[in-house]
Amino acid sequence: MTNLWDKPEITRREFLEKCADAGAKTFVFGGLVVTTAKLLLPQEATTRWSARRKGAEKEVIYGFVVDTTRCIGCGSCVRACKAENNVPDGFCRTWVEQYTFFPNGEVVVNSPAGGENGFGDELPDRNLPEELGQLPVRGFFVPKLCNHCINTPCIQVCPVGASYKTKEGVVLVDPQRCVGCGYCVQACPFGSRFLNPETKIADKCTWCYHRITKGMKPACVVSCPAKARIFGNVNDPKSEISQILATNRVQVLKSYLGTNPRTRYIGLDSEVI
Amino acid sequence: MGHARHFTRLFVLIAIVVIAFLGARAKVVPKDFGKLGHFRASAIAEAAAREPRHIGSEACSDCHAKVSAAWTAGKHSTPQCENCHGPGLLHVKVMSEDSVDAYPDRIKNNPNALRVTSGIQECEWCHLKTFERPSTLKSIKNVEQHISETGEKFTSRSKCIDCHNPHTTVVK
Repeated sequence: MTNLWDKPEITRREFLEKCADAGAKTFVFGGLVVTTAKLLLPQEATTRWSARRKGAEKEVIYGFVVDTTRCIGCGSCVRACKAENNVPDGFCRTWVEQYTFFPNGEVVVNSPAGGENGFGDELPDRNLPEELGQLPVRGFFVPKLCNHCINTPCIQVCPVGASYKTKEGVVLVDPQRCVGCGYCVQACPFGSRFLNPETKIADKCTWCYHRITKGMKPACVVSCPAKARIFGNVNDPKSEISQILATNRVQVLKSYLGTNPRTRYIGLDSEVI
Repeated sequence: MGHARHFTRLFVLIAIVVIAFLGARAKVVPKDFGKLGHFRASAIAEAAAREPRHIGSEACSDCHAKVSAAWTAGKHSTPQCENCHGPGLLHVKVMSEDSVDAYPDRIKNNPNALRVTSGIQECEWCHLKTFERPSTLKSIKNVEQHISETGEKFTSRSKCIDCHNPHTTVVK
């Protein structure tokens, strides 16, 4: 049995020399790889951050406020959205939910066709369970749409870079890149996305990007007769939405998920999911 | 040294693979991809380019001045023209072509043109009684009951606009 301590296979000098050699090679080769990667890959991070720092005050950041206390559940927003954006039947980019509370604590949520045809007690799709047999004690409508989150789960999962966020904070889908895999549809915790059966790609609320970039308001905001939807530039302290955000207590949907939505709600109940 | 040949072969093979990859990448990835982030930069302009279909009630008043004035002055000025009549873009396009003859078919058969109003459904969207609606909003349980309450006779052809002016809410 040989004693390892007596017969070192490598001297201290040799060991140190080899270490230095390997270190130098790693440094040179690593440097080469990094430089090549920098030359080949797009320079997104640097340009984006410097641009953000320069015009931080002037930048437009859009926000959306839904005042659930004002919504009357007429469905005008749903119809306007469908007409404006060619949304196929059976799908909605925005929809209205009807919440009904009963004395026994039961909560019934109803949204026939996303509220496209309005709501009514006598309508066949009122959909109240018969065994309740009691009068409701409380109720309200909650319009829903894409929350245009700051931390977007949907963009993260897109394998082809088809989902993206504009500098104004609007989350959009690139119809040319989208392959219709549906990952984003599943990733969205708010159910705001769907696969459009006509175009075969992911479809979602764009806050009417083609309107807001022309100085108009989204179709749902314009059509709301109850002024339950407020849209505007949150970076401008004089805008209507900034005034409303400054004077109201607002909440977001599923705040515990940390997606940080830009769509905020007034009068949101804890039962609303 | 017979090893040099092997190294050359390996180097050539690696070079071919790298060049093929870079070539394929240049072909597949759009030129402006990654300019602003992990997406195609020109997609933003493309998304913004689409034509808005809801043109706004002010655009309607350009031609329909009389009814527009009555609507603005009345109590029913919160719902916009296009809430009931549908988006106006195609209507304006059709009308500005001076092809009035083409009006009925093109408008009625085109889902993007003006909606054909029923005179009941448009009212029911807001004015049907449902528990969640505010009590300040005037609402009826159903049309049949409402008409019988007023003493009129309900028929299958009865419409809300038989009695109510939808633009001003004035009862005829």
